Amino acid sequence: MNTIRLYLRSMGMLIRCQLEYPVSFFMQTLAQLVMEGGEMMAVILVIDRFGHLGQWEPGNLFFFFGTMSVCFYLTEMFGRGVTGNFPYLVRSGQLDTLLLRPRGLLTQVLCSAVDPRRITCVAVGVTALVLGSRMSSIAWTFPKALAMAESILMGCALILGLFLIEAVFVIFSVKSVELVNALTYGGRSACEYPVDIYPRPLRILFSIVAPFAMVMHVPCSWIMDRPLYGWPAWTAFVCPLSGALVLGIMVLVFYRAIRHYRSTGS
Amino acid sequence: MKAYLSVFRMRLRMETQYRGAMLGGIVCQMFFGLILIALYRALYASKPQAMPLSGVVTYVWIQQAFFRMLAATDSDLADKIRTGNISYDLCRPVSMYGFYYSRAAAQKLTGSLMRAVPMLVFAALLPEGWCISLPASLPGFLLALCALLLGLLCVCALENIMVAFTMRTLDPRGMQGLLTLLMMTLSGNILPLTLFPDSWQKVITLFPYAQLLDAPIRLYTGEYPPSEAPRILLTQLVWILVLVGTGLAMWRSCRKRMILQGG
Repeated sequence: MNTIRLYLRSMGMLIRCQLEYPVSFFMQTLAQLVMEGGEMMAVILVIDRFGHLGQWEPGNLFFFFGTMSVCFYLTEMFGRGVTGNFPYLVRSGQLDTLLLRPRGLLTQVLCSAVDPRRITCVAVGVTALVLGSRMSSIAWTFPKALAMAESILMGCALILGLFLIEAVFVIFSVKSVELVNALTYGGRSACEYPVDIYPRPLRILFSIVAPFAMVMHVPCSWIMDRPLYGWPAWTAFVCPLSGALVLGIMVLVFYRAIRHYRSTGS
Repeated sequence: MKAYLSVFRMRLRMETQYRGAMLGGIVCQMFFGLILIALYRALYASKPQAMPLSGVVTYVWIQQAFFRMLAATDSDLADKIRTGNISYDLCRPVSMYGFYYSRAAAQKLTGSLMRAVPMLVFAALLPEGWCISLPASLPGFLLALCALLLGLLCVCALENIMVAFTMRTLDPRGMQGLLTLLMMTLSGNILPLTLFPDSWQKVITLFPYAQLLDAPIRLYTGEYPPSEAPRILLTQLVWILVLVGTGLAMWRSCRKRMILQGG
């Protein structure tokens, strides 16, 4: 409980800090809107030109896109300490101070930064979700809402877990490793669309190694009454748990790796 | 002129230092290229288009290969503006605009060429349907190279305009970030311009952003036949003149109101 209070207090402070420069904040938020708006425009234009993608109707595609945007940018917003700030903490040696304090290391890293600019990206994602839900005429029931909530929560866990891979690399190499981004950002780009359109190697990659498909596509397709691969309903609730699994494994790996941490000394 | 050339050469040498980062970048871009192509293949399987799939695949590969031409920014310069160290550059007996223009050109040229060559070789070795196709014709290829060079000059001029905004706001993440993202969309990096609605394309291809990579790619794939090349190259030239002129004027006015922060 204490941890959660600590996190919320830090978030409040950091957000107030950012709002100290309102013009810059506004411009950056607008830039985020342009970025995610551009992504969504690409999806709209693709749908406009191609109509549908395999068995998926336009509404379904918006729904998949929305789920991914909401998950990804919620993670980048509240997990900024891991997704963006960690390489800097290592390079500047500030991680040493965190190691001295009597609180969990990951908690402190997560408390070190927040990125409220991403709110516009999340908003674009929510718009796509609502649009997709309307267009595919989803009849929302309690189990469906539950599956959606689980999917988004687990999606955030999965993405945070994948960003921890980069953090582990940074502990050893100090410099941030562009290559590891391929899995996170590549996964985002690829899994904005349902996974079953891709050739087998990519399907395996995004179902097992980085299980975006398990966490997002399986429950979402069930919500839209077009279950992926025709899987039964219970999979929509069990498969997303793989997100928590990835996060759990990566947290363990992270704490193992941190034992080998050698400060940069600066 | 000699001064600018030596700035260019120095920067070229510096850019070739970071080979590890380059290798990581290449693998990353190739992975993105493969994902995009897988997506377009699936879309084409649902509903084939007038533009052949091989054209889209080629478009994606060239865009990915020359990604650094669009994305590389001079972070030194942004730091200098914020810290006020840019005042040292005022002491140099060369035009500040020209100085940074040559730096940007060198950075973008090496950054993209060093990545593009291995990537395009890899892209050519891929199996049918995934690989980059050969240029439509030899003149088309040579003209595409010319257009690419003009595109480079154009993107450097755009870059300097974006920097001029940073000089005013001191924070590169605001306006500069906004314009970079606009560039990514309108230059065909996120979605090939050839897949935009046909009515939009008539307007978008006239924008400066389409002169960077879209025009060279279309000359390469033969969508613009060589007979149309003079019109394309002329459009690029006009934009370069307009953008360099605007940039120069903006830098000059920034220089007049420059207040040095700190000591």
